Amino acid sequence: MFLILRRGFATNSSLLCSSEKIVAPPPSKMKINKSKVPKIREKDLEEKYITGWGPGGQAVNKTLNAVYLRHVPSGVWIKCHESRSLDRNRKTARKMLIEKLDLKINGEDSVQRQEERLASHKKNLKREKTRLKYEERRKEKENQSETDQENSSNKEDNLEYIPEDN
Amino acid sequence: MALHLSRAVRRVAHFSGISGSRCFAAVASFSVNNNLLKTLFYNQRHENSDTVFFYTTKRNFSVLTNKKNVPRKYCRGFSSPATGIDTNSNVQCVLEAVHKILEDAEIPEAETCSRYLVSQVLGSTKQFAYKEHLQQKLDNAQVEELNRLVACRLARMPVQYLAGNWDFREITLQVRPPVFIPRPETEQLVDIVLDHLPSKTSQRLLEVGPGTGNICLSLLHENPDIQVTALERSKMAADLTKENAKHLNLDQRLEVIEIKVEANTTLPPNSDQTPQPVQYDALVSNPPYVLRKDLISLAPEIYVYEDLRALDGGAEGLDVILNILRLALKYVKPDGLIFLEVDPCHPHILPLHLEKQALPFKIDKVLKDFQDKERFLILSRSS
Repeated sequence: MFLILRRGFATNSSLLCSSEKIVAPPPSKMKINKSKVPKIREKDLEEKYITGWGPGGQAVNKTLNAVYLRHVPSGVWIKCHESRSLDRNRKTARKMLIEKLDLKINGEDSVQRQEERLASHKKNLKREKTRLKYEERRKEKENQSETDQENSSNKEDNLEYIPEDN
Repeated sequence: MALHLSRAVRRVAHFSGISGSRCFAAVASFSVNNNLLKTLFYNQRHENSDTVFFYTTKRNFSVLTNKKNVPRKYCRGFSSPATGIDTNSNVQCVLEAVHKILEDAEIPEAETCSRYLVSQVLGSTKQFAYKEHLQQKLDNAQVEELNRLVACRLARMPVQYLAGNWDFREITLQVRPPVFIPRPETEQLVDIVLDHLPSKTSQRLLEVGPGTGNICLSLLHENPDIQVTALERSKMAADLTKENAKHLNLDQRLEVIEIKVEANTTLPPNSDQTPQPVQYDALVSNPPYVLRKDLISLAPEIYVYEDLRALDGGAEGLDVILNILRLALKYVKPDGLIFLEVDPCHPHILPLHLEKQALPFKIDKVLKDFQDKERFLILSRSS
């Protein structure tokens, strides 16, 4: 059985034969290209906490720790209140802002999309591997049942043959 | 002293119309310089309830109630106000009810607080965890716990003490009264220290006043090459620091010594009994730095529930800071740095005091906090 693999053919695993290999690097060799990730400057950022901190420091005890961070040139903004630590939220907000900016500016080349593609590629390869494994098992079973049938039909002959005692 | 405090209780009972034996006033006391004992008390009366909520230190509780061997709990003797929260309302309604109760009582941060409390009874420390359970109904235990928390909050107990734990940078610390609750500004102090320590070399740090252990434990957690010796005058705080260190598996690199830092403090000899004083590579502290005049205008959450000895810095807020510098002269290496969190006026008034007291230190850097206030000092030896 031969299958002509057309160039640019989508990796639709159901149409691939085991003798044809996918010409793509293995996931372990695929690197995420982070060179295009935008860098942000602190002075371009506007950070807001809730007002009313008063003198601050030891004299104040506030639980407000939500961070609202805006990148002024692009208008992208993030709100972060994942942790009860203000410092942690500020750092997480900056990471989230860079990811959001990366997605907005670089689109398909952004780190997020690259990671999604890598994950989907890994998933496809795994699916293909599983499919091939079951194919082989199915073939083995077929062969096995064929041999079984032959054996059993031989047995029946034996059964039928009853040497007569003379 | 016993007479003084019981007079305070009687006065509160008189004004609130509640019989003295059932009225417990929340009392915070601190002694300053010349052993002046100042008593502040707080009383919150709820409708439909006879007993007021209180918190006090174990010692004061014994004095107030004439009871001995009191177990140390931070919330005792209250009856819930009528909150209207029951097992028939769903989380959405409960949240709105709590918010209304707190707002009507003019409790600050009512919205944030109600979210934290409802999420807490649902078993989470995250503020918005309640959103996943909006249509759920609370069970009896949860309703009882929530009523208790609301009663405590109405008596102005800080949310952090109600939760029992709070996040500080990457770690979560157990917190309990009266140990000083870590403030968000101090999180930046840890960054400053980490930035100035040489990397990949083992360093010995000295910390004065760890409190819950937020600074030393963050440093230990984020830098595996350092060891810290922490000096703490309050047994309650020292115990809590040790407890937090154990929880975070950092107790191997932390030594906590219960000692008050004064003008002529001498540290006990090393654990290996070497007689020479250990030379530390750096000193870090968030010392009590609030000026006496600002101490009066503190919120009840602070002056009732937190140990004011962790805040009171004397007339100019510099008393403890100057003692720390005297300690640094003896125990920190000549090229070692001193990292302090201070009041915004200190960068301007400290140099004069250093000169007057003949302390050979100079301010290398003044750094601002997230509110753009001059909050952090880095000092080094001047000669």
